[in-house]
Amino acid sequence: MNTAEHLKIEDLHTYFYSNVKRAFIHSVNGVSLTVNKGETLGIVGESGSGKSISMLSTMGLINAAPGVLQGEVTLHTKQGSESLLKGLDQFVKIDIQDKRIISVKKDLNAWNKQVENNMKHIRGKEISMIFQNPKAAMNPYETIGKQIVEMVLLHTELRNKHEAKEKAVYWLERVKIDSPQWRFDNHPFGLSGGMCQRAMVAMALSSEPSLLIADEPTTGLDATIQSKIIDLLAELQQELGITMVLISHDISVISRLSDNIAVMYSGTVMEQGPAKAVLDVNSDKTHPYTQALLSSVPEEHNLLANGHLKSIDGEVPDTIDIPAGCRFYARCKMKHSGIEKQCHHENPPFQEISPGHRVRCWLRIN
Amino acid sequence: MAFPLLKVSNLKKHYSHKKGILQANKQSDSIIPAVDDISFDLGVNETLGLVGESGCGKTTTGKSILKLTSSSSGSIVYKNTDITLLNEKDFRPYRKDMQMIFQDLDAALNPKVRIRDVLREAITVHHKNMSAGEIKDKTEHLISLVNLKKSKLDNRSSELSGGEKRRVGIARVLAVEPKFIVADEPTSALDVSIQAQVVNLMRDLQNEFKLSYLFISHDLQLVEILSHRVAVMYLGRIVEMGPSMEVANRPLHPYTAILWSSLHDGNQKEAQTAGSQEANWGVFDFERPSTGCRFAPRCPVYLKKGKPSACTDPENEPLLNNTTQEHQVACHFPLG
Amino acid sequence: MYTEFSQLPIEKRQDIEKHWWKKIHRMDLLYLCYGITIVSLVVISYFLGAFNLLPFDPEEMDLDNMMVGIGAEGHILGTDFMGRDLLSRMILGIQAYFLPGLLAIVIALSFGSFLGVLSGFYGGRIDTGVTYFNNLVDSFPRLVLILLVVAAFKPDIYYIMIIVGLTNAPVVAALIKNKIQFLKQKNFIESSIAMGLPTHLIIFKHILWYNCRSILIIQATLGMGEAILMETSLSYLGFGVQEPTPSWGNMVQAGSNYLMQGNFWPSTAPALAIMFTILGFYLLGDALNHILEGRKS
Repeated sequence: MNTAEHLKIEDLHTYFYSNVKRAFIHSVNGVSLTVNKGETLGIVGESGSGKSISMLSTMGLINAAPGVLQGEVTLHTKQGSESLLKGLDQFVKIDIQDKRIISVKKDLNAWNKQVENNMKHIRGKEISMIFQNPKAAMNPYETIGKQIVEMVLLHTELRNKHEAKEKAVYWLERVKIDSPQWRFDNHPFGLSGGMCQRAMVAMALSSEPSLLIADEPTTGLDATIQSKIIDLLAELQQELGITMVLISHDISVISRLSDNIAVMYSGTVMEQGPAKAVLDVNSDKTHPYTQALLSSVPEEHNLLANGHLKSIDGEVPDTIDIPAGCRFYARCKMKHSGIEKQCHHENPPFQEISPGHRVRCWLRIN
Repeated sequence: MAFPLLKVSNLKKHYSHKKGILQANKQSDSIIPAVDDISFDLGVNETLGLVGESGCGKTTTGKSILKLTSSSSGSIVYKNTDITLLNEKDFRPYRKDMQMIFQDLDAALNPKVRIRDVLREAITVHHKNMSAGEIKDKTEHLISLVNLKKSKLDNRSSELSGGEKRRVGIARVLAVEPKFIVADEPTSALDVSIQAQVVNLMRDLQNEFKLSYLFISHDLQLVEILSHRVAVMYLGRIVEMGPSMEVANRPLHPYTAILWSSLHDGNQKEAQTAGSQEANWGVFDFERPSTGCRFAPRCPVYLKKGKPSACTDPENEPLLNNTTQEHQVACHFPLG
Repeated sequence: MYTEFSQLPIEKRQDIEKHWWKKIHRMDLLYLCYGITIVSLVVISYFLGAFNLLPFDPEEMDLDNMMVGIGAEGHILGTDFMGRDLLSRMILGIQAYFLPGLLAIVIALSFGSFLGVLSGFYGGRIDTGVTYFNNLVDSFPRLVLILLVVAAFKPDIYYIMIIVGLTNAPVVAALIKNKIQFLKQKNFIESSIAMGLPTHLIIFKHILWYNCRSILIIQATLGMGEAILMETSLSYLGFGVQEPTPSWGNMVQAGSNYLMQGNFWPSTAPALAIMFTILGFYLLGDALNHILEGRKS
């Protein structure tokens, strides 16, 4: 397998201002991820863990001030490597006091221009995205065929409308929509949820990207449809040899598709490694959070003697007052292992414990 | 099984859809059968899981039982009283016994009202003569039942997290001391780790108060674990019903088999067979229902057997075989 | 808005948390203060008029001092063409619209809430009926309706205000209906029914009190402004309050005969009063709307 890096995210931070809580929320807090060429990276985490926000930041799709503030994102393309967040920090001024952000000033116009400049050759051409709600992401007033043709004309060498249409029909066929010639003229609302998601995949792939980001592609679909969409994505990824980043809250979806898995919690990556190593329930190398997540899936072998499901007590900590120590400390079942003090007061580093397998936990490092 | 707490027979709920002037291609005014002739019963301290894909009529069934939406025909007997015949005023005493947990976390909670007042109102609906002290004790008891701190009583619902809102919702329902609860996707809006907490809580409460649940969910794994019996719904009909372990491990209806196999990736055979009929998944047209068995257009068995005429015979729609058997199926060619 | 707030030092931000009024947008605060001042002036003046605590007898003609200017002979705002004290007449003029205006508001709010709850809560055929009624009322010119009533009965301000109230009801009804439909979408009403709450409790406490009170307050202030406008224009035309009972409308009318002679004040003073009062009620409604329902940027 080719192990060249395709996308590398280093120490990415994204902040938002919450009007309700009247404070800055540190949504993405030092995320570092690498995606290898031709592989699938699955990012799993609960809501609010920052999994979607980190990918949106990468794509420069967060323009609400203050948005992305720090970090380095490198995309390796055929033409060489490009830095996606190049020059963005110079438009942002942050005041930090007692490790808390006091204020942020952002020159929104200059910022947007810079993002536009950075992403011009990337969005659509190199990276495509599919979203959770395909009906909301597509234009309801245009037929799906026309929308795909538009993508083809915009992002590929084809300039001839007739050829572009042929190409669009080809992609509809490729995502297994039957009678694509006829479906070409359907509007998004005329399609079922599963079919619409297929059309969305076709649209994302029609620009022939090298990287596909799928943000919760199966959430909200019925169980039978879900498994078909997963199969489709797996098949297309194999055949086209594209790189994929799959985001989901559902660890069973992630486990079916991914070569590598990153587990996110409260804005940081707790663990990243090969799927096999991360999903190994009996391993004593994985992060306690990953283990807890795996065992709270409602399956028979996860039941306790009294018929209870294994659960993670407590709630996800908020991302305003971030605890000094390990983020998972309050809910961790393994905290009584003699190193509580360290867990409570020091944030563990993201350390490699075996090749390609990194964990943020004192227990595993020592 | 002891005598049933709730007995639903031949429940139907039809929505009529009038033809618009511009909808020239439609034949005539159509009737959409959201729930079409379903029957089941539920014992004391039992959980019946109701599963199916979106739009199959699970929620409508739950709401019809609680008379939140009127039913077109059929009867619902609760403890020997036919509640379908009661008007809202006569039905109100029964509301004390029958409650619903809504899918929407905010359904019961006004963001501006304190949790204490939410619970107080629920307590005093059916217990009018309680003293202030008794009400206070009861609210505190309720909040501890759902594993929340007493200090949360003075919060407003806008200050709570999703899991906490769900707990308050459950506490509110418990305040009227119900015997039977319709739980409509109680965990679908929650994270996996919180979901397990809520499921455990529901199970504890069932044991403590001898509750009966009608557990509506699209999450098959949850239903399998939480329910004693499962009813699988497809387009307004129950196609299979039986003890949950048996339905999960030895499904008789092809649809159930496909539903369950879509969960476990190791067991993809059944789903693959149906894959050839891809396009029909989920695009069933209620207004032009197929004749005979509703599932026939998507059915792998129907294809494998060379499209037998029995499956599409309009006079011969398969019904749940009304035997004394626990495990029932509505299919001409059940898997064995 | 958040950047403004976030750039404040921490102590100031904590201060803001404590004092709710500091969260309000500066313009809204200005409107609110102005509106409240006007409303309290109107209310105080109403009671002054009701208990006859006036600087002069408003009907006593001082033929020596006709149309004198501001401050002459103890008349703070001068006198009109018959030598009657303008200030006293203007204070008394509030009697003409205050109670009738309240009546119009009460009718608009109660009838509007009734229609709104009928169509939103019960829906179906009732909803269709209510919609037809609302459309009928909306499409009928209000002034014509009022003139019809005046012609059929007699030019009485209470009759007119009943019409104003009834014709305002559809606006309130539409707002309440929308709110109820929003609540229905969130299963809020269904969950209250499932709880076994009596219908009257759901409608009055949960729908009208908890969820519609801000709408009702805003509509009340706007309704008062509208009632004043109606009263003054009709009195100006001679259909409302009749001389010698003073009303701002008929004062403007009476004064306008002398505009050509350069005596603009007896007409302008009540006109300015009308303008500032209506503005006060409207701005108060606007400010309350932004504060209670949230300002949309």
